[in-house]
Amino acid sequence: MAGALPADHELAMQILTELRGPRVAAAFACGGLLALAGALMQTLFRNPLAEPYLLGVSGGAGLLALLGMAAGLAWPWVSVLAFVGSLLALALAAALGGRLLARDHTPLLLAGVMLAAGFGALIALVLSVAPIERLPGMLFFLMGDLAWTSNPFMLWAALLLATGTALGLSRRLDVLQLSPLKAASLGVAVAPTRWMLFTLAGACTALVVAQAGSIGFVGLMVPHALRKTGFSGHRVLLPACALAGGSLLVLADALARTVIAPRELPVGVLTALIGVPMMLWLLRKP
Amino acid sequence: MSLAAHRVTLQAGPRTLVDMLDLALEPGKVLGVLGPNGAGKSTLISMLAGLAVPACGQIMLDNQPLAALPPLTRAQHIGLLPQGDEGGFLGSVADFVALGHYPFGVAALDLVPLFAAWELADLAHRPLDSLSGGERQRARLAQLAAQQPRIALLDEPLTHLDPAHQARLLAWARNEADAGHSVVLTLHDPNWAAGHCDHLLFLYGDGRWQLGTPAALLTPASLETLYGTGTAALWRKSDRAQPV
Repeated sequence: MAGALPADHELAMQILTELRGPRVAAAFACGGLLALAGALMQTLFRNPLAEPYLLGVSGGAGLLALLGMAAGLAWPWVSVLAFVGSLLALALAAALGGRLLARDHTPLLLAGVMLAAGFGALIALVLSVAPIERLPGMLFFLMGDLAWTSNPFMLWAALLLATGTALGLSRRLDVLQLSPLKAASLGVAVAPTRWMLFTLAGACTALVVAQAGSIGFVGLMVPHALRKTGFSGHRVLLPACALAGGSLLVLADALARTVIAPRELPVGVLTALIGVPMMLWLLRKP
Repeated sequence: MSLAAHRVTLQAGPRTLVDMLDLALEPGKVLGVLGPNGAGKSTLISMLAGLAVPACGQIMLDNQPLAALPPLTRAQHIGLLPQGDEGGFLGSVADFVALGHYPFGVAALDLVPLFAAWELADLAHRPLDSLSGGERQRARLAQLAAQQPRIALLDEPLTHLDPAHQARLLAWARNEADAGHSVVLTLHDPNWAAGHCDHLLFLYGDGRWQLGTPAALLTPASLETLYGTGTAALWRKSDRAQPV
């Protein structure tokens, strides 16, 4: 039985400290980072339905990671490739659509959405020609899975650093929800602040994707739900996102490990299964 | 505190909208800017706010180039009411109005008088996006008032406002002027301009501009030159449909 610990006390302790503990810690940090990145993206694009993968981060990461897997590379290298892929996607989006960011975020949004579509097609291409025995690993990466995460300490450091940095910007982010012209008239340097948001959200997302694949929905649903329930000031919204996102992913991962035990589900399936009905319910509310 | 434009030229692509404009905003005065659509009124307003750079010429705040001022310092003196766009704001009316005080740091501002002045007290805790167009315009005006600017630049402030709140805006503008502040409004209503502005600036959209008092500038002939032939009939009293 997965989930229950064996009677052997020493073995149980070992499982707890070396397997379960780090995995739960990593799950929390990943969920927190994704929800934080989602909140930042929503502020950057002034749209409550923006999310961390909007600009093709998960596509870029997925493409390079799958190419690595198809070539038979082992996990740490796949992780490195995923990280490089997500940074590549962000750099492309910035280069293609970032010129007018002081006034208009639409070019960046369009460039990102187009890139995501392109990466999606290339991923489908890799999947259709990859060796059949490698497909399950690839699908788990694309859906997001915490079984690979090896470094909860780095993720936690990133979560604390990112939350702290974002909190430092929180008053400026409040103003950034206004039109770019109004925000500028109130003394906010719109373009530099938007680039900071882009970089911070991109870095958070790239880290998580490199460690756990493209876990969906946490980054969209958590900040959206919190905004809908009345958290509008970033000083409260951002830490609330980190907490709620982390908790949601810990819960989803616990379910992913146990519902069809001894087999595991990709955690992304669970976040979507929890997230879709919740989002629909929230959207139904006036 | 005085804001002045020296030989400022505005361009839209190859077209020159305003050529070599010299304008000094006097403290204690209300300036109305009139002109057809696309004549450069909004561009001029954002340029005076230091948020756009003229093709040539300079904007000076107290004899200092406005462009050299740090953004926050500028925002402590100059307030702008751009045309409406609040799509991204999901918070309450109270949160929205309070953002106007951003340039002055974390020091809290008592919002109650502002809510009272703009009749927002009952709406303060509603989400901004649930308000009607006119209510939202009042929230935007209250946000500008929260900034307490010494130079207030308002782009079509009458949009969506019912007569009662147009009167409220008029009283506010006059109050600001009496406190020694400068107010600039872009308008499309010559009657409003005639009654409530101290000076008028006509922008013709082809480079020409004209500065003067309402009495001197507002004639049927000049309005037809500004807006096009036949437009003066809009403001002429008709025999058939006398207002009661």
